Order: sequence, then structure tokens, then C-alpha cells
Amino acid sequence: MTRMMTRKEFLGSMGLGTASLLCAASGFGFPLKKGPKKQDIQKRIFPKDAPQERWKWSIEGFYYDTDGDTVQCLVCPNQCVLEPGDRSVCRSKVNMGGKLYSLAYGNPCSVHVDPIEKKPLNHFYPQSLVLSLATTGCNLRCLNCQNWEISQRKPEEVRHTELFPNEVVKAALARATPSIAYTYSEPITFYEYMYDTAKSVKEAGLKNVLVSNGYINEEPLRDLAKYLDGANINLKSYDDDIYRTLNGGSLRPVLDTLKTLHRERVWFEITTLVVPTYVDSPEMMKRMCGWILSQLGPAYPLHLLRFFPRYRLTRLPPTPVETLERLRETALKEGVHYVYLGNVPGHEGSHTYCHNCGKILIERQGYHIGQYHLEQGHCRFCKTTIPGRWKEQTELG
Amino acid sequence: MKLKRLLIWSLIGTGISSVTTQLLVVREFLSQFHGNEITIALCLFCWLLLTGLGSFLAKGIRRSSLKTYALLTLTAALFPLMMIVLIRGLRDMVFVHGASAGFYPVLFYISAAVMPYCLLLGFLLPYAQKLCNDQGYGLVSGDIYLIDSIGDILGGALFAFVLVYWVKPLPTMALTSMLLIVVSLMLLHISGKFVLLLAGIFLAFVYLYYATHSAFERRTLSGQYGEIVHYVESPYGRIILSKEGTQHTFWESGLPLYSDADVVRSEEKVHYPLCQLDNVEDVLLISGGLGQTLSEVKKYGPKHVDYVEIDPYLTKMALATGTIKSEPFLEIINMDGRRFISETKKKYDAVIIDLPDPDTFQINRFYTSEFLSLAKGALTQGGLLSIGMEYSPNYISDIRRSKLSTLYATTRNHFSNVTILPGGEAYFLCRDGDIRTDIPVRLREKGIQTDYIQGSYGGDVTEERIREINESVKKNERANFDFKPRLVQLVFQEWFVIHGTSPIYFIIVLSGLTVIYLAFIRREEYILFCTGLATMGVEMLVVLSFQVVFGYVYLQIGAIVTAFLLGLLPGVTIGKISEKRPFFKIVVSEISLLVLLIVFLAWTLFLRKEVHPLYFLGYGLVFSFICGFQFPVVTGMIGEQKSPLAGCLAADLSGAAIGTFATGVILIPLLGIRSAVVFLILVKISSSMIVWLTNRTGNAP
Repeated sequence: MTRMMTRKEFLGSMGLGTASLLCAASGFGFPLKKGPKKQDIQKRIFPKDAPQERWKWSIEGFYYDTDGDTVQCLVCPNQCVLEPGDRSVCRSKVNMGGKLYSLAYGNPCSVHVDPIEKKPLNHFYPQSLVLSLATTGCNLRCLNCQNWEISQRKPEEVRHTELFPNEVVKAALARATPSIAYTYSEPITFYEYMYDTAKSVKEAGLKNVLVSNGYINEEPLRDLAKYLDGANINLKSYDDDIYRTLNGGSLRPVLDTLKTLHRERVWFEITTLVVPTYVDSPEMMKRMCGWILSQLGPAYPLHLLRFFPRYRLTRLPPTPVETLERLRETALKEGVHYVYLGNVPGHEGSHTYCHNCGKILIERQGYHIGQYHLEQGHCRFCKTTIPGRWKEQTELG
Repeated sequence: MKLKRLLIWSLIGTGISSVTTQLLVVREFLSQFHGNEITIALCLFCWLLLTGLGSFLAKGIRRSSLKTYALLTLTAALFPLMMIVLIRGLRDMVFVHGASAGFYPVLFYISAAVMPYCLLLGFLLPYAQKLCNDQGYGLVSGDIYLIDSIGDILGGALFAFVLVYWVKPLPTMALTSMLLIVVSLMLLHISGKFVLLLAGIFLAFVYLYYATHSAFERRTLSGQYGEIVHYVESPYGRIILSKEGTQHTFWESGLPLYSDADVVRSEEKVHYPLCQLDNVEDVLLISGGLGQTLSEVKKYGPKHVDYVEIDPYLTKMALATGTIKSEPFLEIINMDGRRFISETKKKYDAVIIDLPDPDTFQINRFYTSEFLSLAKGALTQGGLLSIGMEYSPNYISDIRRSKLSTLYATTRNHFSNVTILPGGEAYFLCRDGDIRTDIPVRLREKGIQTDYIQGSYGGDVTEERIREINESVKKNERANFDFKPRLVQLVFQEWFVIHGTSPIYFIIVLSGLTVIYLAFIRREEYILFCTGLATMGVEMLVVLSFQVVFGYVYLQIGAIVTAFLLGLLPGVTIGKISEKRPFFKIVVSEISLLVLLIVFLAWTLFLRKEVHPLYFLGYGLVFSFICGFQFPVVTGMIGEQKSPLAGCLAADLSGAAIGTFATGVILIPLLGIRSAVVFLILVKISSSMIVWLTNRTGNAP
């Protein structure tokens, strides 16, 4: 005897059937596709988070618009619109009484002396020392930030020393460091402090180095560039989706920064952290190199760094050295003249080779230099000009 | 009566399947998220609360049907597979691939993932009782609770003593749900719904095919790990060896443990301590022996190196892939490092501890004063101990400063000289003797070549940075102890800071909801609420104390859960025997629970001696015995005519959920084990007061 299925039975069967199909579909890769998804890191301002009163280490912002009450910071592409009492995305700027103030001025929380190669800068006065300083703050939200304890903090939340611009110069002279680097966190967030310091540093005959994510608007960068001698810009990937997923930013402003520095004739080197499953595709590297070559030329060195799990990005393995080597080969093949591997001690990819004759020019063992075959910025063997800012071997420490 | 027997078997089957599923889901979340006590507590909290909610929803049942029950039990049998697959698969869709997740995202993900199953599970028992009553089988609430407990015990024991050693999660599910599947299909057959029966049989086959298909299991994991070379569900955690090109990565419970060519770490952890010594003959390495580590140790020409690693599967896999190379001087010892050091008669020139920051009680055991005392006893005269801790080289935050200071205070309790070297980690070199910081000079003196240290030490570990980190430690910081785990508390605080979250809002909302709930329940149900709370709180305490003392809770968590379930059975049975003198029974049981809690407190305060594991299991058994005893007594006090099962179950489970959260997420991690016991004592005092007040006001039946 046959009988019709009731509506309830039908729904029940459909439910169970759907469940089984989902199980089965899982076996064929749904929903297990890996790789970057379009998950934006949301950056928000901090409403009503400004302190009641200005403190000693504050200064009125250099680039902002105001309509009397509301201000808009114009230093970086975030362009935070702040009502009175609000704090910016980078945590360093506040609207107090209709004016924009930076709370990061003369109050570095980190001051160290580093080798210049640590920035990394391989074509900028090798084996010189650099006084490195940072206040808190960052305009991005990188999941793998290794300085998150200062980059994701407000100026009032950390211990700091007092070092106003002129004192920075004195500190550098006292430590015999020929350069000052604005580094560790994101110097764009303490733009005013960096700008004034860079001016004093330049006047004192020392060098200024910017180590940055490059997330800055053109006008403030152009003004700063007048005092900059060198820079390392972190090009985190060549994919806007990845920028949004891992960093909470976007690609275009960083590319614009590289073009501006190029136009302003500031020596810079580019760093890319090769994050497994995100920034490790040779195709992306080809596109990135294509852009570099067409817009900047082949001279600026590219540093490919090995990723290690950090901060919130802890469930990825370190980058395979083989992947780094493959990407380096790709970049060299595409035409970038100087491609270095970082975070891989003892690797030959840390040496400088003449792009013309291929001979080793600077042999590096960590921060030490073994062989050095540059003469007045030229290859000792084939006399080709090697781009960068050099001093003679006799000066090397 | 065949149907009655089937219904009883369905309840037993539900118990077996649900307990195994719960244990597997806890282990799964430990691998998917930060594998610490907070994750365990959050998972159990969601599980219990949602199951309680399911029971609560069943309060409104007016009629029952066999067909519906059969479909519900079949779903309960088949759904766990999909739940695990979805937990694995959806993680990378919900969260950024490779990123850790914070408190609220973890809480919501766990809740969403287990909600359908737990609601169903909670609904099933009261529905089964309703069905039994409608069929005229006369099973009272205590009977249902008892039968379910039998299933729970069987499932827990099967998992803890058999399946955990041999079977991967999906086949385990298949095995433990078989009874429920068969019984459900038989119930469908009896209900005469043949179309549904055929659909059910088809689904059961699909389920069994996927659950027992090892390639399918691997595929569900490949989203995170990429190409999996080896996969073992070790009793201590999920061990995976993945391959990225030519690189191999070892993963332990979801986090990368070691990858090839980690030069900096291998050199730092070995040479900073060993170069201090004039002669390196005997070395003890506690964990961290994979890859280059041993080849760096070999440069000193040691006579003997003992490498202690708790998990044999890890070292077996590493030997098989060449990640550990056999050396004549090397002995691999698979046992708990702390146990080894307390038992060994050997003396070592150096003890190198390479563990992650103490983010679990298990790891904390290697950062405590008690352990360092043992370790010092295993050192030769002038021997050196090295232990590391994460820090940031450019700025030491207040929390990290406290962490470093705590470890400094702990090590200084045992060594006259403690120097911190700020490398990739902060390396604490501890010795009763000189410690030098000019490491490259020492290496040159010894003729030892390195890739990283000789070229980069001077730039990374400058005199200025060494001075800064050593001066940053606060000299008045408290030391870290087994039962005063200051470091764990700091690491948990740091975890909240990293993810920019605080549990405070959740605690406020939960407290508000709890108060509202308590305002509406019966006084008798409040007793069960408090007992459920105390029992799960004690279960968390036993789990963590066990972890503190023995350090291998991942293996034994099933045994502990089983012990807690096992006590329920005789408890319910004895509680059901007679309905006379319920008030007296409740008073005696309340006092007994209080005495047990005071015994626990006394142990943590005064004794702290290492006791045999059976004491922990026995304690859990006795505690749950009383918990089980109270259930039928309380339902009897309310009266079967008022259908007390759903309300009592909901109270028991809600209390258990709150107990898990309060102890596992707040009290133990942030205030320590003793504070948690005191809290539970206060809770039980409150329920005793209710009993007393109920009697005084004459409301007792």
C-alpha cells in the first residue's frame, strides 16, 4: 500500500538530506577554501577619548581642516574626522576645542641605537649606526605587528622619556650616531615631532631616516621629504584585499608614497614581509615588480623578509626559505637590480651583488661586513655605478 | 514492552554519544583557538548553558510522538559529525586565516557552533520522559536522569580509556553514535514511518562513510594546515606535520611548534647558556629539541644529552622525518619534564627549558618556584639553567615587565645570579656563578661557528638593551608558584590586551541574566543550581589542579569527566530509594559538599603535596555522588505531579554553566585556585541558607 508523505515528513527528510549534502560537500572542499578573504579590519576613531587637558608633550597638528568644532586630520589617508573630544585612529591626534593636537611630541617611548642594516637599509651608509626613536601609535592595524605594544597604544598608556627635537640632536651627537631613524611604531602618527626633529637634525648635519608603512598623504610627505635622507617603506603586499585583511589599509596610498619619494629624490628601499598563504605568490611578485620597474625603475632595493608568527597572526608557519628564494629569483628576473632576503641568517641573499657583473660587492655576516668592493659608489670590478648613499671602506666601522 | 526498552537504550545511546561529542568538541576548540583553560571553560559554559536552555524549552511540551522522538535522536546521532566539520571549515570563513581570535569572537563562535546540538540534547531528556509518561511506562525524573547518566559514564569511560589512544575524532564519533543510530532507526521502524526510515538509513550510511574515511578527516583540516604529511591525534594534543614546499612544520594543537631553518632561535637558546660553561658534558633539554637545536648542542661535544618531550608521537614523527637526527650522545625520554627532573638522580651542567609562555597551568609548572627548586637540584656545582619568555625588544609594556619581573623573582629565589639576555626571547640565564654577556667572544674562544650570533648579536643584543631589560625588572615583584600562578594570570591579562577585549561586559550581562533567572526559579531548583555550579566549578578545579600536579590534563580530561559522571549514578540511585525525610537528606548533602570544598581549600593552602591521581578521581566521584543524590531528592520535594524534570535539569545545567564560567574564565585565571574554592564555598553556603530558611518558614514539603 502506498501513501503520501505528509508535509512534516517531507520537511524532516529535506532537513536531514540537506545536512547530509553539506557533509558530503565538505569533502569536496566546501567550505574549506583557504587564502585571503575580503575581511576588512575595521579601523575606528575613539569617540570622546581625548584627555581633558593638553599635556606637556603636545603640539597643534600641522595638517588639518576645521569648521570651528569638527576637525579633519590630513596627514594620512585615514583623514579622521574628529568631533571635540575625539581621538584619531592612530591614537595620537585629538580634537580639543576645535583644534587638532598631537599628543606625541617630545615623548618617545623607545630610543635605541641600531645598525642601519636593521631598518633594513643596505645601500645607505653601510655599517653605520642610527639613533632610532618612536612614540606610540599607528594608522594601520597589522595582525602581525611586532611592535604592537607601542603601535596599538595611546601616548598616555606607556612609559616614555622626554626628548624634544633639539635634544634628539644632542643625543645623537652624544652617541656618535650619524643618522636618526623614526621607526618601530609608525612615525607618520608623530608627524609633527618627526618633522621638527628632522629639521633640527638636518641643520646639525646629521641624516634623517624614515621607516614607515608609507600610509601618508602626498603634501605632508613632500614637506617632510625636504629633510629626509633615506627611507624604508613597507610595501606589505601588492593586493588591496590583503592590505584590508591583514593591515587595515589600502595599497594605493603606499604606491603613491613610493612615487613621491622617488620624485623628491629621497633614497629609499622597499620591504615586503612574505606572509605564507597571503604574500607568497610569484604572480603577485611579478605584478609588484612590474609596477616598481615602470614607476620607480630598477635601482631601489627590495627586501623580502621571512615571516614568523607574531601578535595575532600566530597560526601560520614561518615563510619557507625556498619560497623567499623563489620570490627573489622572480624579482631579479623581472628586472629589480637588488633583492635581499631578510630574517634568514647566513643566507647569500643578504649580500650585495653588482647588477652588471654579478660579483659580490658587500658580503654581510649579519650586521658585519666581510668583503667590501665599492669605490666611491662604483663596483670595483666593472666600475658600474651602484645606487645608494655610500661612504668609503676606510670609514666603515 | 519492547518500546520501553528501546526508549531506555535511546537514552543510554544519547548519553554515550553526547559525552563523547562534548569531549571531542572541547579538544577541537582547543586546537582551533587559544588552547588554554579559558577555551575549555568557554566551551563547557556554552555547552551547559545551551543544553540547559534546551531543557527549559521542553518545559512547554504538551504532547509527544514517537516519530518526532525518533527523528530527534537520529539527528542527535548524526549531527556531531557535521558540527565538527563546520567548526573546522567555517573558522577560516569567520576569522582571518592564520589569525588568533579574542574572547568575544571565540565565545560567539563556540556558541553558534554548538547551539543546535546542545539545544536538541537538552530538549531530548524531558521529551523522552514525556513520551514515556504518555506511553504509560512510569519513568520518573530520577529514572531518566539515572539512565542518561549510565550512558554518560559509558561514553566518558569508552573515550577516556580506549578511544583517546587509538582513534581520530570522526571515527570516534561514528563508533560512539552507533547505538543511538540503530535505536533511532528501530524507533522509526516501530513508528511505521518507512519513508523516513529509508531516508534515515541512507543518511546513516553517508554519515558512516564520511566519519570513517581518513582522507575526509584530513581534508577537513587542510584549510588551516595546507598539505598534511602526518596527522596524529595524540593523547596530549593534535600533532600535525605539514609541508610547505621543502619546509616542514610541526603543529601542536593548532599552533606552529617548529619549522625548518629556525636558526636564530636554535642558536640563541643553546649558545647563550652553553657558552658560559667551561665544560659541557651533560645537558638536559626540556622540550624544544626539534631541528637545529641538537646540532648546535653537538658543537660543544657533550657526553650525554637527555631530551625530554612528553609526547612520544612528536619525537617519533620528528625522528621519522629527520627533524631529529639520532646521535650517540642523545637520549630521548618521553615523559613529563617535571616528573623526570623530580625523579632523576643525574646531574647536569645545563638545563635548557624551551617552552612557550605559561599560558596554561601545564606549562606554568615549569616556571614556578617549586620546579626551579627541583631543577636546581639536578644541576652540577656551577651548572646553569636557561629559560625564556616572550618580550618585545623595542618597548617593554607594563604587563610584560611584570611577567619578566615575576620570573626574575622566581629564579632569584634559587640562583644567586640571574641575567636576562634580550634576544628573540628574553633568555633568563640562572647560575650560582658568573654569567657573561659577551657571547660572540665566548664563542670565538671556544672555536664555535654560528650563522646568526656572530654577525648579529652586537646589533640586536646591545649592551644598552641588556642593561635596559635587566634594569626594567621590578625587584619587589611576587614570585610564581604552582598554586599562586602569577605568570598565568599575567599571560591571560596579556591575551585580553592583545585582542583588545575585556570579559567585563559579558560578566555584567551574564550576572544580570542570572539574577533574573534566579528570581523566577523555585527554592528547590536553586539548591540544584548551586550544586550544579559547585560541581562544575570543582570539576574545573580538579582539572586544573591535576594539570598543576601532573601536567597532562589533555590525556586525562576524559578520565576526570568520567569520574564526575560516575559518581552521579550511585548518587541518583540512592537518592531515589526513599522519599522519606527529604529535608534531612538535603541538609546532610549540603554539609557534605561544604566539607569537601573545605578539604580542597585546605589541600591547596597547607598540604600541596603531590597526591596520587586516583585521589583526584575519587574526589570528583564523591562530589558528583552527592550532586546526583540531591537531584531525585529535590524533584521528589517538588513532586512528580508538577513535572519537575525540565526545570530541575535547566537549573542544574545553568548552574553548571555559570560555575564553569566563573571558575574557569574569571576566578582561576585571574585570581587563582584558592579564590575559586572560596567562591564555591560561599555559593554552597547560600544554598544551605536557602534550605535552612525554607525549613524555618515552613515551606518545606
